[in-house]
Amino acid sequence: MTVKSGARVLPDVFGRFLTLSRIVALKILLKPLVYSLCTKGRTGMATEEDSAVKEPLDLIRLSLDERIYVKLRSDRELRGKLHAYDQHLNMILGDVEEIVTTVEIDDETYEEIVRTTRRTVPFLFVRGDGVILVSPPLRTA
Amino acid sequence: MTYLFFSYFKDLVGREVTVELKNDLAIRGTLHSVDQYLNIKLENTRVVDQDKYPHMLSVRNCFIRGSVVRYVQLPPDGVDIELLHDATRREARGG
Amino acid sequence: MITSYTRGRSETGEELKLQLYHLTKGGPRPLDMEFTGIGHQKLLVLLRDGRKLLGLLRSFDQFANVVLEGACERVIVGNLYCDIPLGLYVIRGENVVLIGELDLEKEELPSHMTAVPAAEIKRAQKAEREATDLKGSMRKRMEFLDFD
Repeated sequence: MTVKSGARVLPDVFGRFLTLSRIVALKILLKPLVYSLCTKGRTGMATEEDSAVKEPLDLIRLSLDERIYVKLRSDRELRGKLHAYDQHLNMILGDVEEIVTTVEIDDETYEEIVRTTRRTVPFLFVRGDGVILVSPPLRTA
Repeated sequence: MTYLFFSYFKDLVGREVTVELKNDLAIRGTLHSVDQYLNIKLENTRVVDQDKYPHMLSVRNCFIRGSVVRYVQLPPDGVDIELLHDATRREARGG
Repeated sequence: MITSYTRGRSETGEELKLQLYHLTKGGPRPLDMEFTGIGHQKLLVLLRDGRKLLGLLRSFDQFANVVLEGACERVIVGNLYCDIPLGLYVIRGENVVLIGELDLEKEELPSHMTAVPAAEIKRAQKAEREATDLKGSMRKRMEFLDFD
């Protein structure tokens, strides 16, 4: 980048200095926060934070390694063990049973025939944009 | 953007998978590459229901847009459950 | 990053200067999507509405936007098919389902399929559409009988 006039040099340098000092200030401010996040990670799994349900996806975190029910678009349902998920609700399920419900129209009587087809898949990645709902396992206490 | 599944699929490159699309087309092939949108490139592909999709007969390699994927059937030994659990917990904390 | 691509002659032989600018803005390159042999490779592009386009790949980007040269639509109805010529097409990425490289060693279609003229395939297409529409409307007409 070239500087056209001398007058622009000064504010430019000054501006850069300002930005730099801002970044330093931000780092100092953020340090305790970052530190607390790190120590939180180290305290192990069974802390209060881990079991607290504050937002919808926390409920799904608690279902990790459990069998869940997933309802998908285009009349599909899945049951399987949850092995991984992200905030889009992309998932990896294990020992999956898929149930697809289809409605056919009989050629002669024009009656609706509702069919369900089932299949099992050992491991399945499910793209989150097709997910309608996720239901954690029923806890019978 | 999360990288959990992106990195997972990157580790799966070279393995056989079946990609099932939202238009019900299912394609089996060797995972060649994947990107951050989970676009997928497959090699040595074959369509599971060939008779229904005659136009796919001579397609050997293909690019699949991530947004049209419904499922990917994974190789059973390509899933390290412990690793996935850890990565998911890390991601849940970070996100 | 700006890359430009200038091309001299099109498939039909007419002079065509096609300049394509890819603005990737230095973001992460999505996928090593270099299809071997841009310009020679015949591709099949499946669209979300089920249409099948064939043509030579001219360009491709991170959104799966595609430029197809000498494009045609392959209409298949039962065992009949027809390639309807379209020309130069820019396809918006979100409508793309799949981009397939065709293996020139293999037959593009099964041997039991026959090529028919455009007029005939359009007739067949219309008949097929009407048959499925009829099924839906008949069901609606019968609904008042209440089968259950």
